[in-house]
Amino acid sequence: MPLDTSTYNLALLRVDGRRWNELRRIHAQIRTQAAADGSSYLEMGHTKVMCVVTGPSEPGPRRGVAGAGGGGGGGGAGGQSKEAEVVVNIVIAGFSSVDRKRRGRGDKRTLEMQSTLSNTLAATLHTHLFPHSQINISLHVLSQDGSLLAALINAATLACVDAGIPMTDYVTACTAGSTSTYAANDEGADPLLDLNHQEEQELPGLTVATLGDSDKVVALVCESRVQISRLEGMLAVGVDGCKQVREILDQVIKAQGQKMILEGTVDKGTGLNDMDLD
Amino acid sequence: MASLKRSVESDPLAANISNKIYVRSTKSGKVQKIVREVYLRRDIPCSSKLCQECQHQMVIPKDALGKPIPFVLSDSPAGTKVFPQGHYLVPDTNAFLTAMDLFEQDSAFYDVIVLQIVLEELRNRSLPLYNRLISLTKSEDKRFYVFFNEFRLETHVPRLEGETVNDRNDRAVRKAVAWYGQHLARIKGKSVPAIVMLSNDRDNLKKAKQEGINACSLADYVKQLKDGEKLLDMIPETQDQDQIKEKRPGDNLYPEYFSMSKMMTGVKNNLLHQGIFNVSPYNYLEGSIRVPAFPKALLILGRENINRAVDGDLVVVEVLPKDQWKEPSTQVIEEDAITKNENPDAEESDDFVSEKERKALQEEVKRTHSKTTEGHAQPTARVVGVIKRNWRQYVGHIDQSSVSQSAQQGRKQDSVFVIPMDKKIPKIRLRTRQVSELLGKRILVTIDAWDRSSRHPSGHFVRSLGELETKAAETEALLLEYDVQYRPFPKTVLDCLPKEGHDWRVPQSLEDPGWKDRQDLRDLLICSIDPIGCQDIDDALHSRPLPNGNFEVGVHIADVSHFVKPGNAMDAEASIRGTTVYLVDKRIDMLPMLLGTDLCSLKPYVERYAFSVIWEMTPDADIVGSRFTKSVIKSREAFSYEQAQLRVDDSSQQDELTTSIRTLLALSKKLKQKRLDAGALSLSSPEVKVQMESETSDPIDVKTKVHLDTMSLVEEFMLLANTSVARRIYEAFPQTAILRRHGAPPKTNFDELANQLKVKRGLDLSVESSRALADSLDRCVDEKEPFFNTLVRIMATRCMMSAEYFCSGTQAYPEFRHYGLASEIYTHFTSPIRRYADLMAHRQLAAAIEYEAVHPSTRSRGKLEAVCKNINVRHRNAQLAGRASIAYYVGQALRGKATEEDGFVMKIFSNGFVVLVPRFGIESLIRLRDLAEVEPQAEFDAENYVLETKGSREVRLELFQKVRVRVTDQKDETTGKRGVKMELVKAY
Repeated sequence: MPLDTSTYNLALLRVDGRRWNELRRIHAQIRTQAAADGSSYLEMGHTKVMCVVTGPSEPGPRRGVAGAGGGGGGGGAGGQSKEAEVVVNIVIAGFSSVDRKRRGRGDKRTLEMQSTLSNTLAATLHTHLFPHSQINISLHVLSQDGSLLAALINAATLACVDAGIPMTDYVTACTAGSTSTYAANDEGADPLLDLNHQEEQELPGLTVATLGDSDKVVALVCESRVQISRLEGMLAVGVDGCKQVREILDQVIKAQGQKMILEGTVDKGTGLNDMDLD
Repeated sequence: MASLKRSVESDPLAANISNKIYVRSTKSGKVQKIVREVYLRRDIPCSSKLCQECQHQMVIPKDALGKPIPFVLSDSPAGTKVFPQGHYLVPDTNAFLTAMDLFEQDSAFYDVIVLQIVLEELRNRSLPLYNRLISLTKSEDKRFYVFFNEFRLETHVPRLEGETVNDRNDRAVRKAVAWYGQHLARIKGKSVPAIVMLSNDRDNLKKAKQEGINACSLADYVKQLKDGEKLLDMIPETQDQDQIKEKRPGDNLYPEYFSMSKMMTGVKNNLLHQGIFNVSPYNYLEGSIRVPAFPKALLILGRENINRAVDGDLVVVEVLPKDQWKEPSTQVIEEDAITKNENPDAEESDDFVSEKERKALQEEVKRTHSKTTEGHAQPTARVVGVIKRNWRQYVGHIDQSSVSQSAQQGRKQDSVFVIPMDKKIPKIRLRTRQVSELLGKRILVTIDAWDRSSRHPSGHFVRSLGELETKAAETEALLLEYDVQYRPFPKTVLDCLPKEGHDWRVPQSLEDPGWKDRQDLRDLLICSIDPIGCQDIDDALHSRPLPNGNFEVGVHIADVSHFVKPGNAMDAEASIRGTTVYLVDKRIDMLPMLLGTDLCSLKPYVERYAFSVIWEMTPDADIVGSRFTKSVIKSREAFSYEQAQLRVDDSSQQDELTTSIRTLLALSKKLKQKRLDAGALSLSSPEVKVQMESETSDPIDVKTKVHLDTMSLVEEFMLLANTSVARRIYEAFPQTAILRRHGAPPKTNFDELANQLKVKRGLDLSVESSRALADSLDRCVDEKEPFFNTLVRIMATRCMMSAEYFCSGTQAYPEFRHYGLASEIYTHFTSPIRRYADLMAHRQLAAAIEYEAVHPSTRSRGKLEAVCKNINVRHRNAQLAGRASIAYYVGQALRGKATEEDGFVMKIFSNGFVVLVPRFGIESLIRLRDLAEVEPQAEFDAENYVLETKGSREVRLELFQKVRVRVTDQKDETTGKRGVKMELVKAY
């Protein structure tokens, strides 16, 4: 079994060979499913998620528990509201983690993530443009290695862009942690960027999502205990990480745009004239 | 639809990302395959101060604050005979596993490169060794550098198809060594140090030779060093055996252990039992083991059944058939006497159980068989496997008789026996080249292995402590034996002390943050009462009458938690030390001197921070109300018990301070009576004090401790304070309060004593409750012999459980009870300078009264449980060390003197008896063969505890009998300790 996170101080290297301020490799694709309105596939290290967006469309028949949980933040009562409802549905594949575990629909952690995602996106998407409608975001987790919520937010952003839903800016997320445990109470602990599964298990951490290039935090989730004095450093590193993620996602979108223009899938509109094509 | 799967090659970053794939099995037996990412990089420095490339061109890794990590490896490393240009060492896992002691040496082993893969393997193999290695890498002067070879692009080694993990790891080590060689070869100008791989794996060494890498085995390397000869002994012996001789089958002396899975299934099905193996202090061939399945301990008799278990090991046993059940031995069997003439070099192919051992056993069997009453036989068991060894380093000395004449001169490697100080540990066979130097020295050894083919365990030499019977060596031996941390406080700890040092004062201004929420009690008449010469004054007291006729009584405890903040280096050190250890001539402090004897100590005439418990009491000592507060006090006087007693007894002294002490004394007597009424036990242990000559600190006399009223005065109020605090912190933290409990002893513990009293004196010992026991102990009096009662109390004390610290969430409330004090709930609060538990209680109480916020470490239950476990062990060891120190000095005080004293028979065997001499607080065994030149014949009546001798000397001895003995000093050949020897003068 490899070493644990306590060896960080020996050479300032994390368990997977990264430095404190390095992201894992991020790989993303959009328009992966031709049939959907918008779709994306995203890898952050070994965390792999797929996202499919349908809508905005007429709200379908009310569904059971999952719909109610997911739609919590959509605003108003479904079809009758002035804003579109954002319904998020997360499916975590049984083979995604080390021990094969079946998670039912009512899994509390999944519901919590659905509601966080729904709230975050509802605040960024211009839902007021689509009254009496519904935006369905369906996420599939294929593999888990930490920072799951962050990966889901990033994938959903990409898919929404692909679906052409108007939104304020990119919502990008990543996690931040600290090199020593809460109980160790080490004042000199370094903040860490983008936790993997092992680090998430052993160290305190938080997930932060920001809006575009700004420092505006749109989601912040911290489920572990950490000294308040360390929080500032962690948050700063996390926000910085979000900006790096934005750059990467932006490139993915632009590359896809170029490709589509070259293939002639879309017309070179007037607005696209100044787009750099080499 | 296009597939999302990409080929790895298409990714430009693929070369820098690798995966680590391994399989592990969980506790429940599931097998998991785990895949982890590994990011390969080129910016991991070699850390050699010689290397300009790493220092200038590469980005030196920095932490979040921008602080770079310093380079470790020296620019002028030491050379050896083979590598005169200097060298860096790269040991493999095996080298650390077998010879960690070597690497901790001061004389050699500098500039070591610890590879990540080695660290990883070591961690999986042995956590303690891993921790020792980590602390080595942190020490600045040893220059150990951890090189993360798995993360560096050039040294990363993927596992090949069909390659075993071990082979891959060895290849990774060789690759790292080769890389270091090439990397350093680029240094211009200076001579380049050689990179030397250390390994004991022949295969690995051979491959290294083929690849042109410098590599040596541990032994070869040590021989190249200047002091090599000495260090050679520290390479474990088993290593040599593997290389030199293949084991011959067929000459195994011990039965083989069961496989782990067989043992586990057996234990699960209740066919085998697991427990800690304990050796009887009187008979090294008899052990016992307590297992959860049975109320009484199982006996394990004889070498074969003990099957290589050593005292303290966690073993699995199998119960033997009923025809092999036996009574516990009534004979004293000492290893020394029986195996005296064994030859350590002999290839013990002769009889495994030696002739003499057999004889001793025969006699036992005869005795058991002669008994018609079969009911006395106890179930016996044999060891079938060891789950976890409890081997540590042992202090001992070389058995003179095992040394051959030639070995005393030459430098040839020779086998000798080391006799450990702890009688429960078997002789250890040691191979050494420096027999002549080590003879007559106290030495530290460790056990490496105990093969089936070897009668005794084999070990290796660690270091020498000095001449036998010198004060320094004996004290260090004692501290090592009881695992007391006695090294000076490291700098990181001293850095936590207040900067003002001895000039620190309580701030004048009441606005100072130190005064926040502190009550000003400087005007109270507070004084402290302690033993003579006490420097670390933990507690002080006051009392004053209140207008309503009640009294206000205050106990003020040094506010150590103000100076020792949770989580810093000083706190960590204190929690490891756990307690201050008091030896006769020395005190090993838990906290640095500056705090213990000055800033925290409640010295008279100066202002000090304190934590006060203040009660309002009626004149009948009923508590009306109590409160807790942090305070500032000024002690008026520091009394010794004797001074305070004189002052109280002197009726001409009528000043306020004296009257307040008198009030306290009167109240304490009432408190004590209440406690005794509730069933508190007053137990006894023989306590003596060694008087030292003030200048040479040589012991001159031994005094029994005198009990003064003022002692119980202080004691009563401390008990009261502890109980009050325990209630308060339990109320505030029902899950995490640090408390102290004393379990009720199992009734069977008293069986033997009760039977002895019944048979010999016709007295009944009732043990239903502590109250009943206290009452029946009071009835155990012998008109003619006032000491008899104390003797019974001493013996009763030994039947008790020991009190322990625990975390309140781990026990149900009824289990909190302190049996000895008859208190529902109890903790330690009153000595924070010398006990860590008290410091924790201080922090919890401070949080409970909302003086400060709860620190995470004082409320994480897991952490607290670990702390409790540690301080329980430390507390016990400190007591044992203290007693051993007194025993040593009593021996020294009696040196060259012979006195006749009265003693009492405490224990009786068929071939000897134990006598306690109250005057010196010592007990010693007198064997039959000590009674006369020719060992007298003896008849032993076990039912009536009578031993009658005939022949060369005729005496009749029975339990509790008063005897006259001559006490002289004698060097114990077995343990090398100077101890007392008793000879029977006459039986009264």
